[in-house]
Amino acid sequence: MELPRLGAFSSSRLSFARSLIRKMARQRWQVTQTRFDLNADGYGEVIYRIQTPQARYHVVIFSRYLDDAQRSDRVIAEAWDLTFGLVEGDVEDDLMMSLSENVPLQEAGRQHPNLLVISRANRSVRNFSSFVEQLSQGRQPAESLLKTAGYLYRTTAVYGNGKFGIADFARLKDNPDFRQPFSAQMTAVYVLRQFSIDQVEHIARNKSPDAVPLSDDLKRYVGIGNSTGLGMAPFLINHPLLINQWVHMRETALSLAKQEAADEEAQQRLLDLMRRAIQSLQECDIENDDQRLKNEDVVSELSMAAIWLDQVSAEADLWLQLTDWAEAAFTLETQELINTLLIEIYPDHTDGLEDYMAAEESLDLVPDMPLIQLKQLIETYLDWALQVDLTSSDERYWFWYRSIEKEEPRLGIRGVDEGEEKELSIAIGPRVQRIHATLDAHLQQDPAALTIDFLMANQRDSDIVRRIQTMAGSAYGEIRANLWHREMKPMHLLRTKLSFLGAQRFDPKGDRWVRVTFFQGAPLIAELNAEPVDLVDFDDWSFALAPQRPRR
Amino acid sequence: MKVSFNELQSLSWKAFIGLGFSDGQASDAADMLCWMESFGLDGVKTLKDALEQYSLEHPYSPPDILYKDTDVTVLDAHNASVLACSHLPLELAFTQARARGFSVLKIRHCRQRQLVMGYLARLANRGINVTAFWRNSQTPLTEQVVGFRASSSVPSIRIYAVSELPDENKDNTDITVVMANHVDLLPTMRSEYEYDLLARHDESDLLEVRSKTEREGIAVDASLWEQLQGLAKLTLVASTSSSRLGAGPAD
Repeated sequence: MELPRLGAFSSSRLSFARSLIRKMARQRWQVTQTRFDLNADGYGEVIYRIQTPQARYHVVIFSRYLDDAQRSDRVIAEAWDLTFGLVEGDVEDDLMMSLSENVPLQEAGRQHPNLLVISRANRSVRNFSSFVEQLSQGRQPAESLLKTAGYLYRTTAVYGNGKFGIADFARLKDNPDFRQPFSAQMTAVYVLRQFSIDQVEHIARNKSPDAVPLSDDLKRYVGIGNSTGLGMAPFLINHPLLINQWVHMRETALSLAKQEAADEEAQQRLLDLMRRAIQSLQECDIENDDQRLKNEDVVSELSMAAIWLDQVSAEADLWLQLTDWAEAAFTLETQELINTLLIEIYPDHTDGLEDYMAAEESLDLVPDMPLIQLKQLIETYLDWALQVDLTSSDERYWFWYRSIEKEEPRLGIRGVDEGEEKELSIAIGPRVQRIHATLDAHLQQDPAALTIDFLMANQRDSDIVRRIQTMAGSAYGEIRANLWHREMKPMHLLRTKLSFLGAQRFDPKGDRWVRVTFFQGAPLIAELNAEPVDLVDFDDWSFALAPQRPRR
Repeated sequence: MKVSFNELQSLSWKAFIGLGFSDGQASDAADMLCWMESFGLDGVKTLKDALEQYSLEHPYSPPDILYKDTDVTVLDAHNASVLACSHLPLELAFTQARARGFSVLKIRHCRQRQLVMGYLARLANRGINVTAFWRNSQTPLTEQVVGFRASSSVPSIRIYAVSELPDENKDNTDITVVMANHVDLLPTMRSEYEYDLLARHDESDLLEVRSKTEREGIAVDASLWEQLQGLAKLTLVASTSSSRLGAGPAD
């Protein structure tokens, strides 16, 4: 798939945040606070217990004083307002001691293997202080604060899969609670959202006897922010089979939806969702000029689509009419938003697919493949890579490398910045083009050669060959873009992954990092614990709307 | 110290890149190492030996082919570790066995031979029967045989000491690998010579070990970890004020 289209994806009901909440409700997960040792300023330790039908977990949170000068969203930061982790099993005293010594250190700590996730978060200083101030004075904070930044805390990295000593994802492959990718990370973030609410209420209570709790509708409108930079980009390249699976499931859901004959009920449901999405986008106060303009285009185009949908009859091919029109006339973001909404209205098709979002990630060599067949695979499935003119300086503009600062991936300008000799093999297209030329020359000498004959003579190319052989059979794993190109937007890579995680309200800061919000509008833990009867209604929280209510 | 598999795989991959391995060699070597460690077969300890084989001044060179026909290949690895020299020759032997039913690969002058198991597991998983044999020339003379049943990634291993030294026992750093499409190649001990079984690992024992290491992590010598981190750092680029511009917001 083309990078700009991937970079226009919206989160959908297949996204991990959505599927997690559905699963929690369906399986009657219970989340309870088991420890709340915070001082009047909100510093200390808090533990939430998560009880699933299978097992028990705990989210352990350490809230520490942070000087304003140290508060940074950069991955190279070394201190945060809070750090937290999701623990498998119980938290005995000795484990708690290990956690309190290491979790606050994050990358610099040696983390316990019972931890499934570690992360950290910084306050939205303006929202946090305003919320505390208003609540302590017996008033509800203005909802407009959450239109600008939809959270009280934003995470800056959420680590899983064995990072810094925590449990490997492989350990979860037979765990029915967290075998879906990123479900453990999403769980930790969801519980953190509850903590952010509990903490502001606690500080406000300690500040004044007149304090009031946050109203339920505002609580629902609180999400958790996330600040993501280039560090996320290599994931998309290093996990092609997983990305293929995610996009394949999304496209399958869309295809099934488009094949459905529209009826009046589905038409009305889509119309309602369109109107909600329009309002939600209008309510988001996005700082980034480009993204704000894109959102305005989406609102305008989606409004047109809604007017049309309101006027036409529910013909059998209505969805095809809509998507054909969108493809011909609307921006990529509007097209993908309409696709997301179509997926939304057919939960019976979509929700079963969430069990297929994982993939065995093995790129295996086929050594006995005739070399001529390998060449044909490249020319058939990776033709886009052969069309790039690598003699052009624009096509070779960027190189990717890893900085000595926390090993963070960065972009350098070729011929200008240092580090080119340590370039990361992120750009697949140029490598495909180079190997195509090399194997072409080999075939001139030995037309009957096998892949292994070629590799014995070109030993350093084994990884790209097995990648080509494996990925040729997949429709979506390789991103069809030259990641060296001057006009390449890393933001598209970030948004692709974030949309599958369930991120909302993308607010890029330049091309290389973005702020998003998770779980804004999601049901509260109290609602989850109340064991909802109407699971369809419980799941209907996409495109959060600001509370409409008179303020006290 | 305890580390996770992902950490070991990721750090060792970077360290191998730092040593001059290609991306493919590095990922294969890291996989071999982690596979060994997952079954408690001392992959990390062997890595420590392997690191002594390398220095940046002496980059790895590919093995020379001494003999090759459609069934048999003999290579000279010039004392390289199997981490660096074995993966493509093993793929060649796999190709030959697939095509002709049976193949033999002999790699002369290679080190850390037990690590080859990590790659053999991958080949066996593709449905080929595999056995590998190597001999250490110290006293007592020990031999190791490892066999994988086709489509199983868990081996049977026998290590034994031969008490009657053969006449010819010069320094032996070779490894012999046999692959077959339709013949089981699991080790069985039916020698007429006297031997002492030093170690025997069957599939069930190894699976139990793997389950334990998944739960508890992998014990790694802290000094080795530092050494790997040092090698991995060779792949990193010093930070500058301009490069920090890509590092996200200062907030």
